[in-house]
Amino acid sequence: MKAILILSITCISFWGLSQTGKKVQFVGSARSLLSNASFKTQGSEEDTVTPRKSAGGYALIDLGFKINPNATTEIMGMIRVKNDLGGFWGSNVAFDVRQIYVRGVAGNILRYQIGNIDYKLTPYTFYNHNPDMLISGRGVLKMKEDILNYESFYRDDNTWRQQGAAVDFGLAFPKIIKDVKFNGFITRLNPSNLTNIFERMYGGGNVIITQSKFFKFGINNASVFDLKGTAASVNTYKNSVSSVTYDLGLDRDKYKVGIKGESGISNSGFAEDTSRLEDFFANTQLYVKLKKLNLDVTLGYMNNGADFRSAGAQSKRINFSQTSSFFDRYTNSQIQRSLSMYDLYNDPLLYASSISTGIIGYDPSINNALPYGIASFNRQGIYLTAHYADTSGKISANVDFYKLSEIRGQGTLNLKKFNFINTNVRVNFNKIFGWKKDVSMDIGGNYQFTKRESEIEFERVSLTSGALSFAGEIEILDKLYLLGNVYHYESKGNDLMPLRNAKDEIINFTVFNANRFENYYAAGLKFQFSKDIYLSAFYESNLNNGNGFSPYKLNQFMIIYNMKF
Amino acid sequence: MKKSIILILTLLPVFIACRKKEVDKIDGPSLNNVYGAFNVVSPLDKSLDSVDFSIGQTLSFSAEISKIVDWKIKITGQNSGAVKIIEGTSSKLDATNTTWIGNTTEFPVFRTEICDIQLTFNGEADTLVSQVKIIQPKLNPGFVVADFETGLNPGWASFIQSGADMDFQIKTDNFAPQGNSYYNMAGTVDWDWLIGYLYLGASAYGAPHFPLSDNPDNTYFNIMIYGEPGMINTLLLFQFQEDDDNNGSFNATSEDMYSLEIPVNWVGWKLISVKYSDIPSLFNGQPSAPNGNGQHNSDKIQQVNILDLANPISGNAKTKIDYIIFTENAPVNP
Repeated sequence: MKAILILSITCISFWGLSQTGKKVQFVGSARSLLSNASFKTQGSEEDTVTPRKSAGGYALIDLGFKINPNATTEIMGMIRVKNDLGGFWGSNVAFDVRQIYVRGVAGNILRYQIGNIDYKLTPYTFYNHNPDMLISGRGVLKMKEDILNYESFYRDDNTWRQQGAAVDFGLAFPKIIKDVKFNGFITRLNPSNLTNIFERMYGGGNVIITQSKFFKFGINNASVFDLKGTAASVNTYKNSVSSVTYDLGLDRDKYKVGIKGESGISNSGFAEDTSRLEDFFANTQLYVKLKKLNLDVTLGYMNNGADFRSAGAQSKRINFSQTSSFFDRYTNSQIQRSLSMYDLYNDPLLYASSISTGIIGYDPSINNALPYGIASFNRQGIYLTAHYADTSGKISANVDFYKLSEIRGQGTLNLKKFNFINTNVRVNFNKIFGWKKDVSMDIGGNYQFTKRESEIEFERVSLTSGALSFAGEIEILDKLYLLGNVYHYESKGNDLMPLRNAKDEIINFTVFNANRFENYYAAGLKFQFSKDIYLSAFYESNLNNGNGFSPYKLNQFMIIYNMKF
Repeated sequence: MKKSIILILTLLPVFIACRKKEVDKIDGPSLNNVYGAFNVVSPLDKSLDSVDFSIGQTLSFSAEISKIVDWKIKITGQNSGAVKIIEGTSSKLDATNTTWIGNTTEFPVFRTEICDIQLTFNGEADTLVSQVKIIQPKLNPGFVVADFETGLNPGWASFIQSGADMDFQIKTDNFAPQGNSYYNMAGTVDWDWLIGYLYLGASAYGAPHFPLSDNPDNTYFNIMIYGEPGMINTLLLFQFQEDDDNNGSFNATSEDMYSLEIPVNWVGWKLISVKYSDIPSLFNGQPSAPNGNGQHNSDKIQQVNILDLANPISGNAKTKIDYIIFTENAPVNP
């Protein structure tokens, strides 16, 4: 046992505590956004009811105090002051606590964080998938996407913002096993109302055993559970997901090849349910990394049971049963405007900031193949991904292809089949031609095809969706960029969407007919003061055919000043 | 390394093969049940041709449809005009979803009579019909305080103000929701809230207290009340006087009286059922502390007062009452 080393000692240095040596630091961000939008209902009948213009905006500052009372403790508190455009002297001013936590290292062994934590485990247990933003972010869309992510606490590493506590520590061994890492968390999803709503918690963790650089193995669990006795009921809810992860690879100078994956089981339901939902999933990947080419190729097989439920991995960022508050009704009949692809980039209020325990509705026109990301239930099939990045940064490309089907039919024994391809290519012309100023372009596209064949007409499903996008950034003067975006999105066909009851059981189906397209154009300028500070002004136009019934056009001019410090 | 990869690749199909067979399972209702063609697979049938509800017999219906559909069975008494509605959503009708115990949905209650049966389906033109004979109507367990079928009990006390168009009497006509008779309460008094009253003492039945359970949570007071069209002025006040000290009389200053106010603001007959423990103590219409032991002693109720009230600004009240019954464990289901 003497040979066992505590890993956390070595972790402190890269954790960033007191890197500057200052006891107190100010961190945060500031943003000012001005918008002037116009809306026009298209079609033969003139819309005399809907307001045609909307102007607004806000200024906000997130001011955080990072206090390091000693070398191993960090206290963070961040408040937000937001002032809507036109609100002065206290009107339309909001004060919020945006972030608060304490973290540190206890006894040079145990790392902990209490308060707001950004956490994830594995793609099937606890993971913030992003299955709906399929159009590549660059140019204007990139700025808007960054704002959405910041507002909803989404990070590039797919964590969910939670409130609770997390700990981790590690052990190192001299032989047989290289190290073992332990991670654990407990968070609170919702408080009890002391009558019929339980105190709902979310907890779990994992143990990652690294045998060598060739083999890594993990055991993971994440569970949502109600605390008994916190409500006047005994019908508590529980969703538990347990999995094993593995990565067995051969690492050579020129290549790395291996097999990795995750397999596990889930169990969910209420205490008084006569039967609980139980199922398993398996996802295995054969991967090859050609180091000289900087090319990663993965061939995978997934089999996610129809009753596999994982609250932490199947929570969607957007609930598609919502409507946007931005020109929410139009035409003389004031019909509800459906969520569009444009809204996904324009309205931060659509996004959830925490996980949910029920099945959230999705838009089959946007992602029918994997509506809940790779953790989508009732899906099986193969997939192939290839990621290439030129070592000199001239060009990079990603291609993901999925060929999937349902495992259990919905309302019929016939199964839906899905083909899904998503690709993006980035070209940095300045590096190709040796220009000093940045000139880059993204070309992205995705295509989905859902098919269910049947001899019976009402069982047949055929739905096609796709998007093609171009985005560019050209540095026309020093630090001054010309931005441009174009995308076309289209969806046609039909599907039958399940209607679920409070227990998420399918009780009926509704006919879903799509005949949608959207065209989006944006152009503007951005002055990049530094990596984290920019000022941008742009104009964007979105033409939406209103699913073939009530087309409209939405134009918007925006000025955004954004900084992080 | 190579062996391990082979092992995992070998185990994976085995693992997947362990999945329980899904080939014969579907999620949700069959699409055929939702979007399929509508056909009557088996016609409407009934468990009995004639039924005696008084001895506990029940009647059920059967039919089968090709898809899940919203269906409605309407049973109409040919003499009484009573209507019973049974509704459901399924493709199969059987005893689990169509059993009829002889109760009514729309007053009056059923009598000994022939009933017409109609089975209809939402969105479909098909109507299946049948008939059944009621040998004896349903009997309701409980203590009937008054059904007015044999006139006013001489042990009751009544009072009628000297207003205009005073009409307090038992009437026998087609309005009766149960049996043939009901008590009419109508008149105009523009100087007092009280139009008239009927005091129903337990002594009229030869006992100091009504024969009820001592559990007020299991005791229900039920009455059928008729709301006249265009008349929302009528207020019925029910007072339940308890003989807390068991001396055979009620003392308002030292014993409990619980009161139930019913504004008669609907049209037609309506069954009002109230759990005795839910009836508050009122003083001038406002909740107040009872004057006795403060407990709902249903077994000590010695008198039920029915007061017909109306705001003297208009002073006009008009209603009818029938079938006053105490039941245990559940409201009456006539």
